[in-house]
Amino acid sequence: MANVDRIKRQLLRDLVQQNVELAEGRLPKTLRRSRRWPLALRVLAIAVLSFALFGSSRLISSRLSGARGPRPAPAATPARTDRTAPASASQALAATLPVLTAPPQPVDAAVFPLAVHKIVIDAGHGGGSTGTRTPRGMLEKDLTLDIARRLSRLLQEQSFQVVMTRDGDREVSLKERGALANRAGADIFVSIHLNWIVNQRSRGVETYYMGATDDPYLTRLAASENRESGYSLADMRGLLDRIYAGMRQEKSRKLAETVQSSLFQSLGKVSPEIENRGVKTAPFIVLLTTDMPAILAEVSSLSSEEEAQLLTKPLYRQYIAEALAKGIRAYAETAAGDTPEMDVTARKESR
Amino acid sequence: MSDKKETLQVGIDLGTSRSSISASNGQRHVVESYVGWPLDMVAKRVLKKSVLIGREALENRSMLDLHRPLEEGLIKDGSEKDEAAVRELLRHLLSLVGVDPDSRNGVKVRAVVGVPAEALRVNKQQVRKALANTVDSLLIVSEPFAVAYGIEALLHTMIIDSGAGTTDFCVMNGRLPTEDDQRTLPQAGDFIDETLMRLVRGRYPDAKFSVHMVREWKEAGSFVGTPKNPVVVTAPVSGKPTQLDITQDMRQACESILPPMIESMLDLLSRVDPDYQEKVRNNIVLSGGTGLIRGLGPRLEQELQAVGGGKVRVVKDPIFVGSDGGLAIATDAPDSDWERLTA
Repeated sequence: MANVDRIKRQLLRDLVQQNVELAEGRLPKTLRRSRRWPLALRVLAIAVLSFALFGSSRLISSRLSGARGPRPAPAATPARTDRTAPASASQALAATLPVLTAPPQPVDAAVFPLAVHKIVIDAGHGGGSTGTRTPRGMLEKDLTLDIARRLSRLLQEQSFQVVMTRDGDREVSLKERGALANRAGADIFVSIHLNWIVNQRSRGVETYYMGATDDPYLTRLAASENRESGYSLADMRGLLDRIYAGMRQEKSRKLAETVQSSLFQSLGKVSPEIENRGVKTAPFIVLLTTDMPAILAEVSSLSSEEEAQLLTKPLYRQYIAEALAKGIRAYAETAAGDTPEMDVTARKESR
Repeated sequence: MSDKKETLQVGIDLGTSRSSISASNGQRHVVESYVGWPLDMVAKRVLKKSVLIGREALENRSMLDLHRPLEEGLIKDGSEKDEAAVRELLRHLLSLVGVDPDSRNGVKVRAVVGVPAEALRVNKQQVRKALANTVDSLLIVSEPFAVAYGIEALLHTMIIDSGAGTTDFCVMNGRLPTEDDQRTLPQAGDFIDETLMRLVRGRYPDAKFSVHMVREWKEAGSFVGTPKNPVVVTAPVSGKPTQLDITQDMRQACESILPPMIESMLDLLSRVDPDYQEKVRNNIVLSGGTGLIRGLGPRLEQELQAVGGGKVRVVKDPIFVGSDGGLAIATDAPDSDWERLTA
C-alpha cells in the first residue's frame, strides 16, 4: 500500500510538471533530447567532426550542397538551357532543352473536364530503396507506406477507387510505378515522399508537378529521386517532351496547388512552425512517365527533429493522410465542376 | 464565516460518443457527446432552448444544427462551431454536478480531463482553450492513464481503453507513461459503425437507416467470434418496417478492429522489459464502451497464446472508469500543485 502511495505521489508530481510545461508552451520533456553524451564523448565527437570538415572540405561541401542529406547528388541536370558543348550526360540532355522550351499552343484544360474516380497512390521508395532516415533510424520508405495506407482507406471511404503502387516493403522501379498507373487507367497519381532539408531547423511541406526547373536544388533533388529509374538519355528526351503537354500539366498544377494548400493549412494547425515551401515544378520520373495529372508531395521533413518526433505518432501520420485526402477531394470536386456548358451540350447532342 | 472558497474536484472523460463526469460531491453523470443549436427562430420557439445537449439534441436533430464536436477523441480541427460545442458540452457536464458554469456558485472547480494517449500538444491546447474561464484549475491526462490511476493498476499493467473515436494502449511501469509506452489507434467504435453501415447497405440496398440507428444496433448486439443469438434489427424497406438479419455483418464489423488492436497489443508487449513481460501479459485491462463487445477479452487472450498466454479483464464500470480515475487524480493532487495549474 505504501508502495502504491509512493508511486502515486511521484506520478502526480511528474504529471503536474508536464501540464505546467504545456500551459507555458514549453516543449514537454518527452520531446526534448533525453540522452546527453558524456563530456568526453562530446569533445571526441567535436574533434572528429572538425577533422572531417577541414580534412575533406571538398567532399563535405559537395554533400552539403545536396538538398537531401543522406543521398548523393548525381550529375543529371535536365533543366539547363545553355548551348555550351556538353561535357557530361546531363549537359548533353540540357542541350536538347531549347527545342523543348518552345511548347505547342497551350490547350485549355477546361475543354476536357476530367472527373476523378480512380487514384493511384505511390508510397515513395521501398525494399532496398530506403529513402531518407532519421538519426533514430526511422526510414522514409516505412513512413510513406503508412501514410499511403491511411490515405487509401480515407479515399475508399469517400468512394474513390484506389490503386497502390506498393502495399508492402518491396522495391518498385520508378518506371514500373508510372506504367502501373497508366495500365490502371488512373485519373490522378499522387506520390508521397518525406523531405530532407539541409537547414535542419526548417520544417516544411512542398508539392511538385511535372515541369522543367532552373533551380539547382530542385535539379539535384529530381536527379536523386530519379537515380534508379533505368531510363536512357534518349528515353529522357522523350519523357521531357511530355512536360509540355499543356493540358495535363495544367491539371497537375491545379492538383498540386490544392493538395499543397490543404497540407499547409491542416498541418500548420498541428505544427505552427511549419513552412509553406510552395508548389514547384521538377522533372521527377514518376511525374513524367504517368499519363494522368500527377504530383509528388513532400509531406514532412525528416531532417527536422521535431517533425521526426511527430512522425512517430500514428495520429500525426493520420493528420497528413487526412490533409492529402482533403486536397484530393477538393481537386476532384473542382475537376467535376470544370465542365463548360458548351461541352456538356455537345455531348448531349452527340448521343 | 470563512473566506476560503469551497473546492469541487471533477474528473471528466471527454469522449467522442459519450462524455462522463465524476465529482467530489458524489455526483456522476454521462451524456452523449452531441450539441445542437436550433436552426431558426421557429425551431427555437418549439424547443424553448438556445442549445440542446446529449440525447435531447439527438432526438430533436431535425430542428438543430447538430454537432458531434469530437473526432477520434479530439476537438475537430479548425471549426469554431465545434470548439463552441465542446465548451457547451463541458458547461453542461459541470451544471449536472451542480456547478453554475458562469458564477460557479462561489465554488473553486479543479478539473482533470482525459484525452487520447497520443494527443498532440495542439490538441491539449485546444482543450485548455475550451475550458478557459469555465474551471479554475485544469490538469490534462491521457485517458488510459486516468483509467490506470483510478483502478490503481500502476505497475506492470497494460490498459486498453477502446471508446468510440480511438483505442488507446498504455503500459504502466510505475512512472508517467512516455510516448514509447502508449499507442492510439483510430480503429474503435466509430470505425465499427462505419463498417457495419457499409456492410448492411451492401446486403440490404433498399433498407433505409441512419448512422444513429447503426450505433444502437451495435450497442445492443456487438460480438466477436461465435454469435450467442442471431442479430435481427428493424429498418424501413420501401417505407415498411422490416426485420433484417445482420448477424454476419455485425461479426465482420466488430472483428474489423481486431488486426490493428492485436498488432498494437503484441508490439507494446514486446517492448516491455523482458523481466516483466509475463506480469504485464497477465494483467491486461480492457475499458471503454467498445471494450464491452462480447467475446473481445477472450479473443485477445487467444491471441496472447502465441507469446506465452495472458489474462484480459474488463473493468467493472467502463462508462465511468475514466472520469472516476480523473477524480481520483484531482483529489490526490495537493493544493500546492493545483495552484500551479490555473486554467
